[in-house]
Amino acid sequence: MIDEATVARDPIIKCEGVNKWFGEFHVLRDISVDVLPQEVVVIIGPSGSGKSTFIRCINRLEEHQEGKIVVDNMELSHDVRNIAAIRREIGMVFQQFNLFPHLTVLQNITLAPIQVRRWSRDKAEAKARELLERVGIPEQAEKYPGQLSGGQQQRVAIARALAMEPKIMLFDEPTSALDPEMIKEVLDVMKELATSGMTMLCVTHEMGFAREVADRVLFFDQGRIVETGTPEHFFVNPQHARTKLFLSQIL
Amino acid sequence: MAASRSPSSILRDTRVLSLIGQIIFAIVIIAALYGLLTSILSALEAQNLLPNLRFLQDRAGFDIGEAPAWYSSDRTYWDAYTIGFINTLRVVIAGLVLSTVIGIFLGIFLLSRNWLLRNSSRSIVEVLRNTPILVQLFVWYFVVMLSLPTFQQSISLPPEGYASLPLRWIVYLIGAYLVWNYTRNLPPQRSHLRRPIVWAAVASAILAEIAARFGLVTNAAFRFEIQPWIYLNIRGLAFPELLPTARFADWLAFVTIGVVLAFVQWVYLGRVKEATGHAYPRLLYAVAAIGLLTVVGWVIVSGEPAATTVTVTNADGQATIMPIEQARADELITPEEEAVYAAAPLLLKLPQKNNFRFTQGLQILPEYAALFLALTIYTAVFIAEIVRAGILAVPPGQVEAARALGLSGSDVLRLVILPQALRVIIPPLGNQYLNLAKNSSLAIAVAYADLFQITTTIMNQSGQSVTGMIMVMITYLLISLTIAALSERANRRFQIVTR
Repeated sequence: MIDEATVARDPIIKCEGVNKWFGEFHVLRDISVDVLPQEVVVIIGPSGSGKSTFIRCINRLEEHQEGKIVVDNMELSHDVRNIAAIRREIGMVFQQFNLFPHLTVLQNITLAPIQVRRWSRDKAEAKARELLERVGIPEQAEKYPGQLSGGQQQRVAIARALAMEPKIMLFDEPTSALDPEMIKEVLDVMKELATSGMTMLCVTHEMGFAREVADRVLFFDQGRIVETGTPEHFFVNPQHARTKLFLSQIL
Repeated sequence: MAASRSPSSILRDTRVLSLIGQIIFAIVIIAALYGLLTSILSALEAQNLLPNLRFLQDRAGFDIGEAPAWYSSDRTYWDAYTIGFINTLRVVIAGLVLSTVIGIFLGIFLLSRNWLLRNSSRSIVEVLRNTPILVQLFVWYFVVMLSLPTFQQSISLPPEGYASLPLRWIVYLIGAYLVWNYTRNLPPQRSHLRRPIVWAAVASAILAEIAARFGLVTNAAFRFEIQPWIYLNIRGLAFPELLPTARFADWLAFVTIGVVLAFVQWVYLGRVKEATGHAYPRLLYAVAAIGLLTVVGWVIVSGEPAATTVTVTNADGQATIMPIEQARADELITPEEEAVYAAAPLLLKLPQKNNFRFTQGLQILPEYAALFLALTIYTAVFIAEIVRAGILAVPPGQVEAARALGLSGSDVLRLVILPQALRVIIPPLGNQYLNLAKNSSLAIAVAYADLFQITTTIMNQSGQSVTGMIMVMITYLLISLTIAALSERANRRFQIVTR
């Protein structure tokens, strides 16, 4: 499936032998994986398998203890300048939305562009309204997060992350806290984002989404990448026994 | 079926029943209050002590330890009462400010990742929170304040006497600055020179120091007399006073212009930032504007020639003209009189001590200090717990989201954590402010002349205890309601809008 143009591109995320422990618990074991620009990678696996921890390591919400993570040619280290620069290039969407409840939708979206990117308020607001249009809720700009439904809040969270014009988007189970009828509206936004060429790493249990938009699926179990492949390979012909068991349980 | 209601059905209506209940309750309360009031009034009438406010114009006849110069025992009860009120406000307002500052820091320390800081502040909070404030007040007064040295053996800061500063130390300082400034701006290709330059500078300083020991380098030094700025003894704390002179108003005009300029540029550049995103160093400009006008104003105002002589009248009514310096040295004019003739807009008056008392400067009496410290620190530990709880109440996901957006640590605190923590902090904080204001009446335990202590004296002398008590209660109520109203306003500002 990998054509020559893809091979020629340098990976935007490079992970080599990443290890992490929470106390005694070995949560990530020798994770080595590269992500190419514009690639959509879906990460699945049972709970506690380290998949959320892994993507949180990529923008250093968690620290890895061994190995090397390079994002956009910058290595994640204890250097605060690198951390700040990498976070500017990576947007993140959380399971619990984590919108700022004391700010309006518009202020939520413009906060980081104004404070971090030093945009003018006019520019930031124009960008915010454009993004709200894109996620389908332009009329909610002046409301507070507490006045929105879960699905609307998650779409605002996506717009907030996109406002920084990131090169990479991380999704940490973005639909797990939503009512079933709201899942689709969020997935639609994510699909649109994937087709627009955004590099995406997505932890999710939505197999339909994985099958439809993923370029690659990583299966995590007990802190390891057990199996990796295209959705066709993965859902039609999984190789590993653990993968087969997992898929038989959720499909 | 026609809707006809029988009387018994009206009496089963919950609305009618609750109305009747309330009417009966109101009648009982009013009757009880009336009975109480008439019995009190008849008892007071029998002693010819009916409550009135006329006694407030009578001569007070007692001295107050902590009073402005205009007060004497010949003033009225009302004057004494006013001083009590002012003294209460003095301790309450200063206490509110300092307890908030200490409380915020202590609260943040309670959450510190530094083991020593966290645990030492935790033990301070636990000890102070779990002992009565009256006991703490006594500790501050009888243990801390009264164990200070006597007046003659006052602790003075800086210590009185002479100090010398070797000339070469100043040379070292200038050298260190030059080296720092040079190495800081080294281009990357020559950055390997940084370490040798620093070592060379340190080595030459050590050599110079050794040379000075053997007398090879001049040992010249500045010598200057040190006058203490602060005295601490059993009678309290004395510190410098800034006396505004006759020219103070002119200078203040310059400073005001500076403040206005700073404000205008702040607002204007703020708009520019909103419109273009270009951030100017507004704080720097503001400080520069105020600083510049302050200095320039001082130079211009004090540049005008001032009177150098003063007419002094001695005890016999004879007037002599003498230079101001001489009059000051001989203590023939008070600092206030001197201020009229001074060239500078402000005179700094360091505390001067003769054998028995301080002749100038400001003083804090031990009673005030003990009450202030007890109230402030007791309240601060409660505020610390409130601040800690408020910060913990902000979900960790908020911090993660803010950090993931690339906000810096201080921006996360300022824009995300604090606005949400304040919502939790403000209501109980208002309660602590009320407690502090009310606890200030413990002043009576260390004989600090606050509202309640003075009113007690007034009541004892005039016999007007009912009026006195009512006045005290109304005054405390006013203070409390003001605090409550302010915290309610603050509270409404930080409410979070939900569906």
